[in-house]
Amino acid sequence: MATIELAGKQFDVDEDGFIQDATDWDEAVAAAIAPTEGVDSMTEEHWVVVNFIRDYYKEFGVAPMIRKLCKSTKMDLKKIYELFPSGPAKGACKIAGLPKPTGCV
Amino acid sequence: MIPLLDQDAILRAKANTKKPETMEEQGLRVRYHVENPLKGGRAQRFLEAFAAILKHSSYGLILEQYVRTSLKCARCAVSCMLYEATGDPKDVPCYRSAFLIETYRRHFTLAGSLKAKLFGDPGLTDETIEEMADSFYNCTACRKCVLECPAGIDHGLLTHLGRYILSEIGITPRALVVSVREQVQGKTRNTSAIPIPAMIDSCEFLEEEIEEAKGAKVKFPIDQEGAEHLFFAPVSDYMMEADTLCGIAAVLHQIGASWTIGTKNFDGINYGLFYSDIIMDRVLNEIPKEVKRLKTKKVLIGECGHASRTAKVFLKTFCEEGESPPVVSIIELTHAALKAGKLKLDPNVVTDRVVYHDPCNMARKGWIIDQPREILRAFCKDYVEMTPNGRENYCCGGGGGTVSIDELRPYRTSIAGKKKAEQLQETGAKLVVAPCANCKKQLREVVDDNGLDCEIVGLHDLIFRAIILQENDSPEKTPESTIPNE
Repeated sequence: MATIELAGKQFDVDEDGFIQDATDWDEAVAAAIAPTEGVDSMTEEHWVVVNFIRDYYKEFGVAPMIRKLCKSTKMDLKKIYELFPSGPAKGACKIAGLPKPTGCV
Repeated sequence: MIPLLDQDAILRAKANTKKPETMEEQGLRVRYHVENPLKGGRAQRFLEAFAAILKHSSYGLILEQYVRTSLKCARCAVSCMLYEATGDPKDVPCYRSAFLIETYRRHFTLAGSLKAKLFGDPGLTDETIEEMADSFYNCTACRKCVLECPAGIDHGLLTHLGRYILSEIGITPRALVVSVREQVQGKTRNTSAIPIPAMIDSCEFLEEEIEEAKGAKVKFPIDQEGAEHLFFAPVSDYMMEADTLCGIAAVLHQIGASWTIGTKNFDGINYGLFYSDIIMDRVLNEIPKEVKRLKTKKVLIGECGHASRTAKVFLKTFCEEGESPPVVSIIELTHAALKAGKLKLDPNVVTDRVVYHDPCNMARKGWIIDQPREILRAFCKDYVEMTPNGRENYCCGGGGGTVSIDELRPYRTSIAGKKKAEQLQETGAKLVVAPCANCKKQLREVVDDNGLDCEIVGLHDLIFRAIILQENDSPEKTPESTIPNE
């Protein structure tokens, strides 16, 4: 397992750069992951998406249904792809510190 | 004649993006991530695993025939989308199948062993194992070539067997292994690691969505004992496919079907079909347990090709608990409801051009081909076909589990998905209907990476747009559905 430094902290990451244990995740870490997913700087809209995913994950242990993410953040899927070019499941979830989605996702 | 991809494009599509250190350490140069492949002596262990599988299965009978009938005539080449894209002889299906057929001949037949001794053939090598590990995951096991082979060789089955033996020496893409591990021994028991409260939360959210869109209260029943149908979606639908699930719930509501989702097992996905009979057996046998717990009568599979085929074809063979429950695809059920005049679909909603993509696992043997087309023709104003279609369809390019392997995306959307991209473009359709979680993900990536202008949807996504629901606050749930002959 590879280790990388993000915002001054060490994280174990998988082959695709998803952090394995999100206990130490914070906004500085998110901002440090963002450029690896084609997000140059985190705007307020980026944070709305990332924080919703993060809060949902804390409550339910998994990323939200994409439709629910769109509805709750009042952004359509196109907008989410504009914000996160690698998509909600890979890009936004990775920045939010979630594990890599598995199965047919 | 459509031109081949140029050599540069092929090299880009097959570029290995893994860290050289990892490959050096594992001694394995495949393009997908592998967790713990066996190091060294792979050929010997491969042969031991092959021997064990032959002993405990009926693959030996099949191979015994194939060593006699395999002609390597390469007629299959004309049916393979990979060969059509690359023109590489290694992409001819019978070239790939020869790995196993020749290994079998050399090591498991008397004539082969004698001949090898006579000519000093060293037999299977570690290098050949590496070639197999690459080749068997280039193939999407779509089985289109089966239709062409004059000797009746099932090349898709040999890809499956090759992957099965490789899995016994630790060579399986990590993406598949991780998902299966969660399904058979994880906390959530499903491939997308969705906990029960999250699945229920998604269902409740969808109930609100349906009410908002259609003005009707439609339930996603959870753990309803004695329901007729136990519903298994490909579990990723609870994250990705809101409209598919809304459409399915709306249809089941409209026809007064008695159905339920079971909290102990709500994932229809079975990656065992892609690489291991042992895994397929284990995952399949969780289905009858949930059927028994909830005292349901039938297994209802959602929009998913491999989940439908695995349950329909293999549950009978592998079921350990008495008689296996009957398996129905949601497409069959919806089709029967339409024929019985129970569905009202507004013909003025879907006006864009629509084309249907056949998921290989449903269409190759002729199981589900006409039903979805009859449904779509009943309400789509501009329905067209791509060519070829039905039994002879081309794979989306992400079959056989390859769609879950993200590091293969450049390969899937350029080489494997080339033919499908061309087919879609030729139809000029704006809406591509693909009733399969696997095909949907792959086709969306094909559309993105090839700059096509169309939207990928499920069959029930479109039905949901057009269905007219009767307001019914407390739908009568009868224990027996009134759908005839599904």
